[in-house]
Amino acid sequence: MTQEQTDLTIANPKMSARDVKVFYGPKQAIKGVSIDVDMDHVTAFIGPSGCGKSTFLRTLNRMNDTVASARVEGEITLDGENIYAPTMDVVQLRARVGMVFQKPNPFPKSIYENIAYGPRIHGLAAGKADMDVIVEKSLRRAGLWDEVKDRLNDSGTALSGGQQQRLCIGRAIAVEPEVILMDEPCSALDPIATAKIEELIHELRGRYGIVIVTHNMQQAARVSQRTAFFHLGELVEYGVTSDIFTNPRQERTKDYITGRYG
Amino acid sequence: MTAQRLPTDWKSDAMRKRIARRYGAERRFKLAGLAAVALSAAFLAFLLFTMMGNGLRGFTRTEIALTVDFPASPLLLDPNAITDEALANANLPMVTGEVAKKALGGDADALLSPTAWISIRDAIKADPKILSRTETIRVPASTAIDLAAKSKGSPEAEAEVARLKQQGVLSTGINWNFLTASDGTDPTQVGIWGAFKGSLLTMLVTLLLSFPVGVATALYLEEYAPKAWWTDIIEVSINNLAAVPSIIFGLLGLSIFLNFLHLPRSAALIGGMTLALMTMPVIVIAGRNAIKAVPPSIRDAALGIGASPVQVVFQHVLPLALPGILTGTIIGMARALGETAPLLMIGMRAFIATPPGGITDPATVLPVQIFLWSDEVSKGFVEKTSAAIIVLLVFLLAMNGLAIYLRNKFETRW
Ligand SMILES: Nc1ncnc2c1ncn2[C@@H]1O[C@H](COP(=O)(O)OP(=O)(O)O)[C@@H](O)[C@H]1O
Ligand SMILES: [Mg+2]
Repeated sequence: MTQEQTDLTIANPKMSARDVKVFYGPKQAIKGVSIDVDMDHVTAFIGPSGCGKSTFLRTLNRMNDTVASARVEGEITLDGENIYAPTMDVVQLRARVGMVFQKPNPFPKSIYENIAYGPRIHGLAAGKADMDVIVEKSLRRAGLWDEVKDRLNDSGTALSGGQQQRLCIGRAIAVEPEVILMDEPCSALDPIATAKIEELIHELRGRYGIVIVTHNMQQAARVSQRTAFFHLGELVEYGVTSDIFTNPRQERTKDYITGRYG
Repeated sequence: MTAQRLPTDWKSDAMRKRIARRYGAERRFKLAGLAAVALSAAFLAFLLFTMMGNGLRGFTRTEIALTVDFPASPLLLDPNAITDEALANANLPMVTGEVAKKALGGDADALLSPTAWISIRDAIKADPKILSRTETIRVPASTAIDLAAKSKGSPEAEAEVARLKQQGVLSTGINWNFLTASDGTDPTQVGIWGAFKGSLLTMLVTLLLSFPVGVATALYLEEYAPKAWWTDIIEVSINNLAAVPSIIFGLLGLSIFLNFLHLPRSAALIGGMTLALMTMPVIVIAGRNAIKAVPPSIRDAALGIGASPVQVVFQHVLPLALPGILTGTIIGMARALGETAPLLMIGMRAFIATPPGGITDPATVLPVQIFLWSDEVSKGFVEKTSAAIIVLLVFLLAMNGLAIYLRNKFETRW
């Protein structure tokens, strides 16, 4: 492993991965990645298609458990607690580490129900009035309230793509997560909807730890303060975003950023 | 060989011919399709017309207006004490025969249905005051007269019909009896209610057994079962089970439910259990396909905010798969409703003249009733058979209508 990087190890990271390896059957998709995530910085994962960004992201809330062939080695901690320990409850973990997917995937239910579902299954609301408060607060944080406040009973799937994605972000926010993982959240959206999501990420920063996967380097530069460049399952370079884009240390990072491949 | 290619001449003869051939091919394809549709439509129309032609007559009956002079009749009944018992002791069948002989002349027994006296009894019950006057009561005609009046009967019957017509006593009425009675020996008295109720009870047992088991199996195989050799074997077995000829299921029911478990023979319970064996694989296959069709992104969405696997299945996957599961269930049920062979094996072909009171009473079902009636020698059963087929088809149409309604009601619009 040739990870020559600025020391970004944080004293008390929100999440921390140490020498994480992921296998799909016999095939190794992630080859020993160590990284820290904190609340004050947005972390972006960049790299060419198939390099393992999504795979690594999904180890952070154990969504990889749903893939029968996937196997994870190494250690990932949330507030110092190993999330792969047998004592860790995966259902609670996923409430604490929320996820937003590439394709907007609202439930085919009302806008209200989309937001209320998470708080309901985790018992976060004390009654209907409290739920109304949670729904409004979550939609406001997701920057969607003004657009949908008059039609909360319409189907979530009737919204535009960008609105659907913000609804999904609101749905993740509603269960009060500590970290939100976003896997190419804008790749299915038009530039205006993308700008709205990026703005939203700025607003959410500090309140939640945010990790965003993107294949769009301008986006990484715009929204993140830390950038990790993945290539062929390795973490090639991890550093302050401005450093990575203006002064990459690794040849491979430079090649990718200058558009020589990817 | 010329090195230089000429520019394509889109108007050349070869091109024109190619275009003509293309249009020709399209026209022929359209015609072939049209012919296929026309052929199947013709078959369907033929089926419907013959069924309707024969069957609708099964819902009507020829009636003879019988003028009864009650005071002059040998009937010994007190108009102030009409009880069921008194009526039963009054020997109405015999009295009816004598009255008919007087009123109609000829061989009255051959003119009236053996059940004619029931009409007279009902008339007395409805209004005992008629016992003190002369009253005209419509009673069902015998099978021979019924046939001759409706279409073609024996020469003697035709002659009698002509004579009765001259007297102006013949008329056609709705055969309510057909909808309320059960099997019988005389075609004028048989009804479909017993078989209909038997079918209803059998379907109920089938549904209650096959739906929960089928859906649970589909859910387990799709959502929980690991990918292993034994799940492959289960999958292949279920697919094969759906293709097993139904009579085999009948044999299975015979040997397990009757010979081994000694459950009551000929009952809707056994019929329903046997048909459930047959319907379950259909529900499993339809259910698995419906569950597979639920987009994985919905599962991710629910898991991603911390729904447990059970919550994902019951709050997201199952509701979205429900329309498909219901459609498959109703198709399986419709197949079971029309099934005869396995039910013959478990003794549901017995002559049963009373409608079943519960699922353990001896019963028959519509298709078996059709089969039994089609086997009868008496000509009067022909139209009854067709009428029973109409009842069965209406039942099937109602079920399919229900399937379409449920699908539209629960279908998720994305
Ligand atoms: N469910 C899976 N089963 C097997 N291999 C997978 C699976 N998901 C991803 N992979 C493989 O793992 C590698 C990394 O994929 P992924 O994490 O999706 O990359 P990225 O998100 O960076 O495009 C790829 O080679 C891909 O083919
Ligand atoms: Mg990806």
